[in-house]
Amino acid sequence: MNPPAALDIKGLTKRYGDGTLALDDLDLEVPDGSFFGLLGPNGAGKTTLIGAVCNLVRPTSGEIRVFGNPGGGMMARRMIGIAEQEPNLDKFLTVYETLLYHGGYYGMGREEAGERAEQMIDAFDLRNKRDVEAPKLSGGMRRRLLLARALLHRPNLVILDEPTAGVDLELRHELWSYIRVLHEQGTTILLTTHYLEEAEALCDEIALISGGKIVARDTAAGLKVSHGAETLEQVYLKTVAGGRIALAEEAARA
Amino acid sequence: MLKLWKQTILAPVIAALLFMVVFGLSLGNSISEINGFEYRVYIVPGLIAMAMAQAAYSNNSSTIFQARNDRYLDDILSAPMPAWQVHLGYLIGGAMRSLLIGVVLTAFALPITGAPLVHPAEALLAVLLLTTAFGALGIIVGVYAQSWDNQSFINNIVILPLIFLGGVFYSVSRLGSPWEQISHLNPLFYVVDATRHGFLGSSDVNPVISLSIVAVITIGLVSWSQYLFSTGHRLKP
Repeated sequence: MNPPAALDIKGLTKRYGDGTLALDDLDLEVPDGSFFGLLGPNGAGKTTLIGAVCNLVRPTSGEIRVFGNPGGGMMARRMIGIAEQEPNLDKFLTVYETLLYHGGYYGMGREEAGERAEQMIDAFDLRNKRDVEAPKLSGGMRRRLLLARALLHRPNLVILDEPTAGVDLELRHELWSYIRVLHEQGTTILLTTHYLEEAEALCDEIALISGGKIVARDTAAGLKVSHGAETLEQVYLKTVAGGRIALAEEAARA
Repeated sequence: MLKLWKQTILAPVIAALLFMVVFGLSLGNSISEINGFEYRVYIVPGLIAMAMAQAAYSNNSSTIFQARNDRYLDDILSAPMPAWQVHLGYLIGGAMRSLLIGVVLTAFALPITGAPLVHPAEALLAVLLLTTAFGALGIIVGVYAQSWDNQSFINNIVILPLIFLGGVFYSVSRLGSPWEQISHLNPLFYVVDATRHGFLGSSDVNPVISLSIVAVITIGLVSWSQYLFSTGHRLKP
């Protein structure tokens, strides 16, 4: 019997209170151990999808399973680590306290969480900032802390929502190397990004999301072949942004 | 819990002590006894209850609203903790700060004013109920609030006037009809009255009735705040 997928989503729909349909009967399977990229424009449904998987958004209908466990359940939540797009850090806590408290939320005792926090502080080169509160950290340091927090409880599935948005080239490559090592150690990674070259460089498989649905899915090479494109950008423009670009061109001609 | 102690502990303690000094020790000599107690003694339980209630409310409403606003609440909501555990954690956090204020105020106020503590267990029950009720109210407002103004509005326009009109500085039995009966419709009157009976052994209504009413209010508010965490209403879109 095959091991369960890291993430198995069937018929997921989310309609917000104002009537916006963010996810439209979406199906997605992310295999265990994969490095999976999710690409799409703003408003495509990426963040809603991640929120639904992480118990932060209430789905309207559909089913989510995390390594075979019901989505939103305690076991599923324990197996997921998430680094959100915007640094959402408690401004009253230091780097160490942020990690210590996170360990507590995931059932670690104070001693275990403290030891693990110190490990993550070293792993993410935050030693000099150990006792500094989040608002006093640079943007890059906050990104590292977000990643350290997401990994602290040793999740099996790590979800990274635009982890390199707005960071300089040096830090981007540094974060890439952290994430690559993590994947090599067997952790499943679900990455959302706007940077196509990032998805191509890191991901085994890529899904393109638009209008709350998955519109294409394959390896980067497979997507190029199936869409007769030379670059991933061309695939993206044809599948995700094609409709909007055609409309814009039509409007310009008129 | 003590990270912001100047703001969360020291400030309310000083404010309540100033009330005791100004109203009790300074103006109190020109006010006749109430229910057999000197005025400076009479106002002590109500002022302690007022400080504790406001602290429990303010701590929880600002904690929840800040966590929602800066979205670090997501780290808690995505963690494998049942809703009741998260809810209880917030209630205990607000209650501990509030109780610390009550202990410090009692330690200062009793020797300064000579106020007694006649029924310590009853006083403890009354303040436990009031900190829980106001902590839950703080959670509810923190969840519903759209801005910082919403929270201070509830505190300044609802809680503070109801506490003042609930008999902190006077006995509502002196108001006469119909104001006495109208005062009995104010739920915070029972909070103040139950606490006063615990300290002074004297109250306007039977302490069993006032404690029962405070308990019912507490259960109602705790059920509402638990509902918000259980369903994710307004916490999760």
